[in-house]
Amino acid sequence: MDASIIIQIALGGILLGGLYAMVAFGLSLIYGVARILNFAHGTLLAVGGVAASAIFTATAWNPLLIMALLVPVLGLFGYVFYDKLLQPLTKRSHFEYTVGSVLVTVGALLILSDVAAWIAGPAPRNIPLRFEAMEFGDVIVSTTQAWILGGIIVFTIVLHFYIKKSWFGRAMRAVTQDHTGATICGVQADRVHALTFAFGSGIVAIAAVLYTMLFPVDPYMGFSLTVKAFTIIILGGIGNLVGALIAGIFLGLAEGFTSFFWATQWAPAISIVLLLVILVIFPQGFGWRKSK
Amino acid sequence: MSNYRYWLGGAFVLAALALIPTSGSAYTTTLLFTMLISYTLAQSWDWVGGEAGYINLAHFAFYGIGAYAFCLSLLNGIPIALCFVIAVVVTSIVALVVSFPLFRLRGDYFAFATLAILPLTELLAFNFDFTGGADGVVLPPKYVLFEAYYLAIGLVGLTAIATVWLIRTRFGYALKAIRNDEEAAEICGIRIFPAKSRVLIMSAGFASLAGALQGWQLSYIDPTTVFGLDVALIPIAMALLGGSGLLWGAVVGVIILSLFNQLLIVSLPILQTAIFGLLLLLIGRYMPGGLLRSGIIRNNRWIGFLGREHDRFVKATAGVTMTDGLPLPKQSDMKGQPVLECRNLTMAFGGNVAVDNISLTINAGEIVGLVGTNGSGKTTLFNCISKVFEQKSGDIIFLGQNLAGARRDDASKLGIGRTFQIPQPFSDLTVAENIAMPLMYRGAVSASLPDALGLATQFAEYVGLTDHLSARADSLNLQQKKALELARALACRPRLLLVDEVASGLTPMEVRNFVNHIRELRDNYGITIIWVEHIFSALAQVVDRVIVMEQGSIIADGPLDDVVRDERVLRTYLGSAAPEAV
Amino acid sequence: MKYTIGLFALGTAALAATSLITPAHATVGSCTEPVTFGTTISSTGRYSTLADKWRNMTIEFAKMINENGGVNLKGCGKKLPLKIIIYDDQSVPSTAVSLFERMATVDKVDFFVGPDWSAMGFPVPPVAEKHKIPMVMANVAAPPIFKRGLKYMWGTPMPTVPNWSTRYFDMMSKQTPRPKTIYFITQDNPVTKALTGFWSKKAASLGYKVLGNELFSVELKDFTSLVLKLRIRKPDIIYISSFDSPSVPLIQQMRRLKTKAKDVHHALLSGKLHKQVGNDLEGVTGEIPWYPGVKGPYSDFTEELVKRANVDMFEYPWTMSRISAYLIMVQAVERAGTVDREKVRAALFKGTFDSPTGQIEFNENGYAHKNGAFTLQVQNGKPVIVWPPEIATGKFVYPSPSWQ
Repeated sequence: MDASIIIQIALGGILLGGLYAMVAFGLSLIYGVARILNFAHGTLLAVGGVAASAIFTATAWNPLLIMALLVPVLGLFGYVFYDKLLQPLTKRSHFEYTVGSVLVTVGALLILSDVAAWIAGPAPRNIPLRFEAMEFGDVIVSTTQAWILGGIIVFTIVLHFYIKKSWFGRAMRAVTQDHTGATICGVQADRVHALTFAFGSGIVAIAAVLYTMLFPVDPYMGFSLTVKAFTIIILGGIGNLVGALIAGIFLGLAEGFTSFFWATQWAPAISIVLLLVILVIFPQGFGWRKSK
Repeated sequence: MSNYRYWLGGAFVLAALALIPTSGSAYTTTLLFTMLISYTLAQSWDWVGGEAGYINLAHFAFYGIGAYAFCLSLLNGIPIALCFVIAVVVTSIVALVVSFPLFRLRGDYFAFATLAILPLTELLAFNFDFTGGADGVVLPPKYVLFEAYYLAIGLVGLTAIATVWLIRTRFGYALKAIRNDEEAAEICGIRIFPAKSRVLIMSAGFASLAGALQGWQLSYIDPTTVFGLDVALIPIAMALLGGSGLLWGAVVGVIILSLFNQLLIVSLPILQTAIFGLLLLLIGRYMPGGLLRSGIIRNNRWIGFLGREHDRFVKATAGVTMTDGLPLPKQSDMKGQPVLECRNLTMAFGGNVAVDNISLTINAGEIVGLVGTNGSGKTTLFNCISKVFEQKSGDIIFLGQNLAGARRDDASKLGIGRTFQIPQPFSDLTVAENIAMPLMYRGAVSASLPDALGLATQFAEYVGLTDHLSARADSLNLQQKKALELARALACRPRLLLVDEVASGLTPMEVRNFVNHIRELRDNYGITIIWVEHIFSALAQVVDRVIVMEQGSIIADGPLDDVVRDERVLRTYLGSAAPEAV
Repeated sequence: MKYTIGLFALGTAALAATSLITPAHATVGSCTEPVTFGTTISSTGRYSTLADKWRNMTIEFAKMINENGGVNLKGCGKKLPLKIIIYDDQSVPSTAVSLFERMATVDKVDFFVGPDWSAMGFPVPPVAEKHKIPMVMANVAAPPIFKRGLKYMWGTPMPTVPNWSTRYFDMMSKQTPRPKTIYFITQDNPVTKALTGFWSKKAASLGYKVLGNELFSVELKDFTSLVLKLRIRKPDIIYISSFDSPSVPLIQQMRRLKTKAKDVHHALLSGKLHKQVGNDLEGVTGEIPWYPGVKGPYSDFTEELVKRANVDMFEYPWTMSRISAYLIMVQAVERAGTVDREKVRAALFKGTFDSPTGQIEFNENGYAHKNGAFTLQVQNGKPVIVWPPEIATGKFVYPSPSWQ
């Protein structure tokens, strides 16, 4: 077995996994804060990707520019979504909060995908940018791949430190761990919740652009992405970004190697099976210090 | 309200439905057929979701497995009635098998795991040969709409009966207890895993029949039609929209959403799904308890009855009095003999040793105070005795029986009762229901639901909650919750009662009241009591002796007067309530 | 008593509501009412990406027929206008079933056309059978659909599985250097699997060595391992049997990893794929049911129709089957001479009909078993019909330069 083959598969897996992890980052923060199953998360990415592709088709802008445009738009959407629709539910009983958020997010999923399909068409689309490939012996890496992978790693590190050191990051974590306590310490907890949701949504915008550069998006693919994202944040530990990156990469590698050595059609099943096995052995997930 | 009216009304509706194919059009029949299937799915989901409180996102997978099992059997020439049986049996087995790993998870993790199962079943259906893979299963093209329709009516009738049964029986109440607080449920004597497993299997069985019927009627199934993510959430939304946990919730949700969906399809060329989603969103935002729980509906004279909560369905049996005072047996047989012995008991969490090699003996009829600073291990000791935790080493002997390896409900059945420091009532159940729970599950003679509710009134009276019998537990103030905690613990018919810090937050008057109760419980009913408390003045009024713990060890054990003069105790407490008590 | 009344009211209200959705109907088989077709189109949901422009196109079709006077009925001695009732089945089979029931019993259409897709092609025809309404389905290609013994159902998939790549292999047999080995890559879908199943056997019988057949799921994004397998085996022809969207990452990754072959053949080639992968698709061959410029019966009509409806035949290659279904039904009604279902059924049975692709011939199972496709190649970013030479609009470039 050629070493170059292993390396090639590994590269593909790492890239895919890193991308999945980006999808999961936003959810990790959002779930950590709002503690709801946000069914619309993947759809937000799908719609963001469709928008990014549409913008690119119309203007041929640099994807970084498109990101700069989409991040505040999705961030604002996230803020308003939480503030107007989910925040009021937190004042109710736990049961009503859970039920209400399920209905709200499922409704949002349907609305977002249908309206996006109506405006931009349901056809899958992407951002067809092509850069030159680099060859290292038998191993080929495209520049696009290299840039995106690099971007993901840098982004993760930056994000991790931002959350650790910055005021906002600490406020987010404080509010996640103890809402009342944080309020007493002078943090406007409600606002921080909404801002965290906005922050998470902004991250989704970045992931959406990167995703669309590599793979096709359509308005209806959101839910299966949501499932993947939840898988990753469970494996990586909720709120743990580096953990999510590792989990995502692990999944990508697992899929890639299953694909080659066993059969391609089982590859997507691997991540789910792993999730279930892990949850059975560790009912509290990995690296989750606080019990529920 | 009386039963026969329900049955009459239900029979009437089913009969009306049965007439549709002959008098109405085939179109109406297919519409109603879809609604009947949706109702079965939504209602069976709600048994696990609304009653037991577990959001099962993989419910649709049971539907799909039932459809596949049915169609594959039919294709292989098995007689049709047997195919339905096979569908139920196969799906129930699957439900049983997955319940073992799944129910180790709580809350959101449970939801995640079930969320992942649905696409997994789709993948399995795609990739296994015997399921036909992406080709699906093709049945001979018989037009069976009417037969399927009549069977669906039957299925709906069964589902409705099962729902009513759940609401009114002990089993249903076990689920409600689990929904609120699993730990407290165990202490009331409910075995939680079998209960959860049983309701999941029940839910899966009905869903599988719905799938079988739909597969039969369509004469074709393939993985995406049956396991598709896009349709999987709809039955759940239907159950939630009407009102989860309500008798009429699923019915109303299914009717409204199905009709609304059809209306949109035939009137709008675009954006039907978006508008459908908008309805879900608005209901979720403004009426998250479900439509039937909203003020508009509940206050309406004609349809308000749809929103009745479960507690209004069963009336307590009046006038069931076993004894004067509390319906508890008077135990005086073990005077002076040890009820509880701890020998070299150690409990540690990781490296943190909470209970360090302690030994003590509690004799029948004693009231023993247990004191110590925060973190001295008092609550952990209680948790070990009541089997919330399994001790690391050492023995606990209760009434001559070693408690090693016992579960919480075993401990409860043997006669260990306890209250919690922070009260853990069943929040959305009434005071009467809270107290009735252990009466149904504990004791040599388990009472039926109406009897248990009747008996509960006496316990409520004893702790002064008579006026609050139909109040929801989460609407009580702290003192009332503590009273409820005590009443419920007593309803467990304990021989040994562990009372954990009751007096804090009570006025002196309330404390004195409580102390009188304690004394009465020992004098009249022979219950042995261990009482953890910070407030010495309370203890001083009633205890026979005091045990003092410090950093997991016992540093004093004797009559109150001796203990408060003990050097080590004084040093540890550094001028706390000791001087006042002396 | 309150409760019984309440239950009664509730039940009746619900049943009444269902009949509210059922408006008045038209009578069948007259000489004064318009000829009514009923159809569902997957305008939303999973299949909508293939069909989203068809609603407008169907409306335009009826308009254009009526501009020519309508459907010519000898039995009435005049032309009657054509009316087409369209519903959105939301890509859900049970919804399609209930909508066809509705069209049969409430809207009381005369004939059915459509639906598309195998998932609908199984559960919907029994409805037509029950109500004895002739139905010409469009894009239902899975052969088992036509083996169920139904008598009121016809289907005109374009192309059919056994005829799909006939012209392609014909063309390849005339090329030098002769390609000898072939590798199949198949999406996990009934149609694509049927395609590979048939054509891998046929290729072997034509003398090709089949080096492998890889199956992949729609969800797969990382094709590295698959492309590496191609690199190891080095086939002359890479035959990709997949719908457009799932193979976007495949094509991109094949390019990225510098895959080489004499020809890359994407059996279901569409403009949507081209839009997404751009220049990566250069030199790739594929099949297409029809393209403007190819002359035949009704070709002018069709060219005008797709222009009005703004449908690009390369982007929406499945459109031809739909249009053919409509054309066939119109011809069948005209041949029967009256709006009589049994007469139309007789006209359809083993009938031969005209369409821009040539003749459409139904066998006794209602299967348009001769429908084939034209071979095209993407040259300089444009689709060029390269085979058969009689109607080709360009010359086949072989071996594929960008894939060397």
